[in-house]
Amino acid sequence: MTLLAVDNQTLTQIAAYVGGAVAMGFGAIGAATGEGYTASRAAEAIARNQEHSGVIIKNMLVGQAISESASIFSLVIAILLLFMDVSDPSIVKAAALLAAGLCMGFGAIGSGVGAGVPAGRSCLAIARQPATAGRITTNMLIGTAVCQTPAIFAMVVALILLFKPIGSVAAFPTCAALIGAGLSTGLAAIGSGYGGGMAAGASCEGVARQPETTTAVTTTMLVGQAVSQTPSVFGLLVSFILIFKSFPASTTLSASVGLLSAGLCMGLGGIGPGIGNGMAAEGAVRWVARRIEYAGDLMRIMLVGQAVSQSTAIYAMVVSLVLIFVV
Amino acid sequence: MDRLGEIHQLIIPLPGYTVTINLEVLVMTGIVFFLALTFGFAAGRKKSLLPGPVQVIGELIVTQLYGLTEEALGKTHAKTYAPLICALFIFLLISNWLGILPHLEEPTRDLNTPLSLGILGFVIAHYVGIKEKGFKIYIKSYFEPVFFLMPLNLIGELAKIVSISFRLFGNIMGGAIIILVVSYLTYSILLPPFLNVFFGLFVGTIQAFVFTMLTVVYISVQLK
Repeated sequence: MTLLAVDNQTLTQIAAYVGGAVAMGFGAIGAATGEGYTASRAAEAIARNQEHSGVIIKNMLVGQAISESASIFSLVIAILLLFMDVSDPSIVKAAALLAAGLCMGFGAIGSGVGAGVPAGRSCLAIARQPATAGRITTNMLIGTAVCQTPAIFAMVVALILLFKPIGSVAAFPTCAALIGAGLSTGLAAIGSGYGGGMAAGASCEGVARQPETTTAVTTTMLVGQAVSQTPSVFGLLVSFILIFKSFPASTTLSASVGLLSAGLCMGLGGIGPGIGNGMAAEGAVRWVARRIEYAGDLMRIMLVGQAVSQSTAIYAMVVSLVLIFVV
Repeated sequence: MDRLGEIHQLIIPLPGYTVTINLEVLVMTGIVFFLALTFGFAAGRKKSLLPGPVQVIGELIVTQLYGLTEEALGKTHAKTYAPLICALFIFLLISNWLGILPHLEEPTRDLNTPLSLGILGFVIAHYVGIKEKGFKIYIKSYFEPVFFLMPLNLIGELAKIVSISFRLFGNIMGGAIIILVVSYLTYSILLPPFLNVFFGLFVGTIQAFVFTMLTVVYISVQLK
């Protein structure tokens, strides 16, 4: 089947180039913003406590290196797309390559910005409490590494889209399903990545404020980040269903648009809950550091609040599953 | 590159349906069991007031996790559930670290392992909930705040299994795929050891801890 009066080889090639451009172009937004934020906080930190500028600069560079990883994932996907040797050109393959680019490009935004937040706040924290610099850097490394999870999910989906053999599937809802799969994980990762960063940022401040509460603060941070990532896990689930389910051939426009909308619904629906859950976790972590004796209650209120905020992501998932299986 | 996502399966056709067994996962899980038992044996064999290095590591893991469980569940419940939590953490930790050894791969890379552990935690949490609150109050909690929200509350509970197991699976499989792809792109020069340390040891430890803590939290939510 041909589209736009070009043959399949050209079409697949075009999709690969556009996908690569989108992956790297969007992928650069998050990491660059996050690293800039880190540097600005580091400048503030050094202005406050110039004696320890060496430790602060080291911490800033380590933090920036981890924030960068989301855009390095994008770079890997973009290079794979540009130099990929497509052996089975078809319109489905073209859709898969474009979707891989979209998924990785959007997916890197949240994690990049998010990882910059703990990196920046940890610089300020070191300026405030230089004696615990080691502990603050360790806590920051854990926080930023967990922030990368949504970007890793996006990369997994992108790689599956790149390398999954197409075989003989019905061209017409499958194309739309694959693009939906890319959008679902990619967009849902934006909120989760940033939300996780908010929780991690508060924990770096907390460790500086009350170094003896480090264990409780890090544990609350990890649970809070894990729950803020749940929307991106739902996005991953919807993507897997859209990629691996085989759809009956149908050339009607509504079938295709339905599957595309399923991915779009979960993707957009995941952004808000991810950020909201991150806010809840940020508050809980901040106050656990100040009032350690209420840690249990704070954790519980965080989880209850997150569960309510999460319910909107669950509505989005229900609507996408209905779009996939019922409509 | 073609090995991406490939699984060695033993497919047994039975009348009516087929049984599929993922051989590698079974073997790797067996290796993890063996390593965990060896560790437990080495840690507990010669218990002394001046502990040896293995005993120190064992005591460190157990006391830390026991403390965290006690904080979340209270003293009496911690006595019942802390051994489970410690075992879960040690199993996941060794599973996630296994991939850094050549020719071995993480059992958690296959969705079956995280999913079954997730269901295990879910069933235990709800068992605790029913036992503590009584069946009536337990069921009533689904009809709150308004009775017609019941289906969504139910989906919300089931979504917990999805979120806990896919998080572990996505991280471990993602790390493994990234290591594979980057090794292929760089002809295995220079980068793979660092990636193994980051995704294998570091992310593996964090995700094992997150999974364990979420299981504790799910139990504690049912208690209250």
